[in-house]
Amino acid sequence: MATIVSNNSHYKDELKRKNSKPLLWIALVSIVMFFGGMTSAVIVSQGGGSFIPIPMPIGFTISTYIIIVSSFVFHFGLIAIKKENYGLAKISVVLTLILGLSFVFTQYMGWVTLHDNGFYLTGKESTQESSFLYLITGLHIAHLIGGLISLIVVLVKTVKKRYNSDDSVGYQVSLTYWHFLGGLWVYLFFFLRYSIA
Amino acid sequence: MSTHHTKDFLFTYIFSTDHKMISKQFLITGFLMGFVGLIMSTLFRLQLGWPGESFEVVELLMGSWQEDGVMAPDKYLSLVTMHGTIMVFFLLTAGLSGTFSNLLIPLQIGARDMASGFMNMLSYWFFFISSVIMLCSLFVEGGAASAGWTIYPPLSALPQAIPGSGAGMTLWLIAMSIFIVSSLIGSLNYIVTVLNMRTKGMSMTRLPLTIWAFFLTAILGVLSFPVLLSAALLLTFDRSFGTSFFLSDIYIGGQVLDHTGGSPILFEHLFWFLGHPEVYIVLLPALGITSEVISTMTRKPIFGYRAMIGSMMAISFLSFIVWGHHMFLTGMNPFLGSVFTFTTLLIAIPSAVKVFNYLTTLWKGNIKFTPATLFSIGLVSTFITGGVTGLVLGNSALDINVHDTYFVIGHFHIVMGLSAIFGMFAGVYHWFPKLFGRMINNKLGSLHFWITIVSSYGVFFPMHFLGLAGVPRRYYTFSEFPMFENMVDINELISVFAIAAMIGQLVFFFNFVYSAFRGPKAPMNPWKSNTLEWTTPVEHFHGNWYGDIPTVHRWPYDYSKVDANGEFVYGEDFIPQTTPLGDNEKDGGEH
Ligand code: HEM
Ligand SMILES: [Cu+2]
Repeated sequence: MATIVSNNSHYKDELKRKNSKPLLWIALVSIVMFFGGMTSAVIVSQGGGSFIPIPMPIGFTISTYIIIVSSFVFHFGLIAIKKENYGLAKISVVLTLILGLSFVFTQYMGWVTLHDNGFYLTGKESTQESSFLYLITGLHIAHLIGGLISLIVVLVKTVKKRYNSDDSVGYQVSLTYWHFLGGLWVYLFFFLRYSIA
Repeated sequence: MSTHHTKDFLFTYIFSTDHKMISKQFLITGFLMGFVGLIMSTLFRLQLGWPGESFEVVELLMGSWQEDGVMAPDKYLSLVTMHGTIMVFFLLTAGLSGTFSNLLIPLQIGARDMASGFMNMLSYWFFFISSVIMLCSLFVEGGAASAGWTIYPPLSALPQAIPGSGAGMTLWLIAMSIFIVSSLIGSLNYIVTVLNMRTKGMSMTRLPLTIWAFFLTAILGVLSFPVLLSAALLLTFDRSFGTSFFLSDIYIGGQVLDHTGGSPILFEHLFWFLGHPEVYIVLLPALGITSEVISTMTRKPIFGYRAMIGSMMAISFLSFIVWGHHMFLTGMNPFLGSVFTFTTLLIAIPSAVKVFNYLTTLWKGNIKFTPATLFSIGLVSTFITGGVTGLVLGNSALDINVHDTYFVIGHFHIVMGLSAIFGMFAGVYHWFPKLFGRMINNKLGSLHFWITIVSSYGVFFPMHFLGLAGVPRRYYTFSEFPMFENMVDINELISVFAIAAMIGQLVFFFNFVYSAFRGPKAPMNPWKSNTLEWTTPVEHFHGNWYGDIPTVHRWPYDYSKVDANGEFVYGEDFIPQTTPLGDNEKDGGEH
């Protein structure tokens, strides 16, 4: 009796099924507030007036396409899982992982371009805009790394056939987060494009 | 058959995922931090009351941080900063929400535990680590952070600015970042638990007002703490990596720094976007506790249940659009200032509704004066006293005169510090039987209350006069200013009261520890209360209820309900939420 909760695996599964998604959604709200704080900081710091516009590197544009495509690819995997077609699901998760890594790579290319054009994150020659540009894109990557880790977990579980047509909460949580990261990037891209560039 | 484990002490007391244990962990850690904050305030009150005089306690407690028992000026600043930080965040945010949200959310909504016990445990341990780092920062070279609890740049951004801006400030930022993570994880859990885990029949309009308060508090936290995190991150970059978000054209020690183009005002915006909701994060749980205690102890339904929920929602919403009232003197456009004045004064409306409802509930109640009742009434008093000066400060034309003076110190200590701490005490006295299974001593509790309320008014009320006379806050001494010479007596008086307040807390400390181990065993429902936590057995075990979780049939405030003949329905002056509605009975929350 004393352990109604701690040893009861049925209770624990039930909890997970019921609560993972709402927990994720509220976490997303706080991530939105975090980036909201960052982007409002850009607006406030531009209140002063003159700044040198920064051309948006092509790398960032490419990465925008990549992350949008990856969202669709990852989503197909869920449809496959609902049909219990594990082969297809595996391909879709692996593909998403590859696209995710390409996103990181193209972002890196973007930073290299910025650097080559004389825009720096820190130091005497940096401006508020150039610093924000690096920092905000970097913070998005930091959140994306969490997404990549969850992709790896999902991949392992897909290979082990842990998901099925009734139970795919884990997959869905990772998918929702991935869609969110995509949406967040699209917002950041256009925000930065029109405020800084 | 109840098998109590003795084998895994570690998982029962240390890495527990049981919300009741985590609640106690938060309570004890929070109180210990609060005690440190209290001692700090007593120490710097000694300096303010008798500037330059030598004290053996100071010598004893502060070792090499002083000479001949006189506190050094830079230590004064770091103590003030740490006092504010500890009181606001560690005692009244984590200590208060952490304790009561954890204890009461599952118990009062009818759940076996939080949505995620693991995250709950994580939340506590992040808080613990953050507390340890914050305390350690007192002992690093240069001392703890000294830029005030608001850590405005440039003071906080330039390691060479003052001694505390070095390692102390770095540790402050690390500790606070961990604290924010802890608070976010905790709040996530509280929100989802309230939304998702209520027992059958527990609709949102049957929730006790405590739960509504904790729920809204958690929402405020999730929305505002991330913004403080972004400010802390930008500040860290300015400090350590050479960006200039908050810095521009600085000369320090005859040297020109490289930073250009940034603005410290940006930091103020980001800080106060958290900072103002934060005062309600501190206050709302206390208000919720008070509603519950007042209703139970007057044996009356809370007056205006729906209005209480509505006003808490209004306060929560408005708290996000008033932050500019902390920045009237930053060269803000006067029109913008008038907007912030307007939104700020609007908050007076829901606040007044709450006060009105408390008073109406108390009115002609059959009041039972337990320490919890006393502290709740104390809260109503301080909420009024502090709220009135809030009207002054919210008004940009008036605030300009008293900004950054002791008027502000008096105001926020009364409205936020005292109200929240009184609410917390009320909660501890009221739920002590639930927390520890024993009764806490009422006589000592009342003594504690009277010492506390008299001495804390004694401390903070006169501060308004100091402020009106222009005495600035965060000053080490006023003895160098001839214009403040006639303030010496007031300062001395305040310090005497501060010492009395400190001693009063020792009474509580003794009562708390003694009763937790030696107090008389508590009955299951000592206050004849309606809410679900009193339907659980006195002894704690993971899962809260043997057998099924009870079903809820009515709102929580059916006290002294009489039928047409003026007799108590069901023969008692309270009807637990688990009692089904009678044929002609209406649910109190539904109209
Ligand atoms: C008996 C207990 C307390 C006493 C005697 C006390 C006294 C003081 C005094 C005199 C100051 C101003 C020091 C200065 O400006 O030089 C101060 C600052 C402050 N106190 Fe308290 N206080 C007490 C409890 C609390 C509580 C419960 C809170 C929680 C809200 C609190 C929060 C603060 C904050 C935020 C500051 C501002 C720190 C800063 O300027 O950065 N205090 N306290
Ligand atoms: Cu405010």
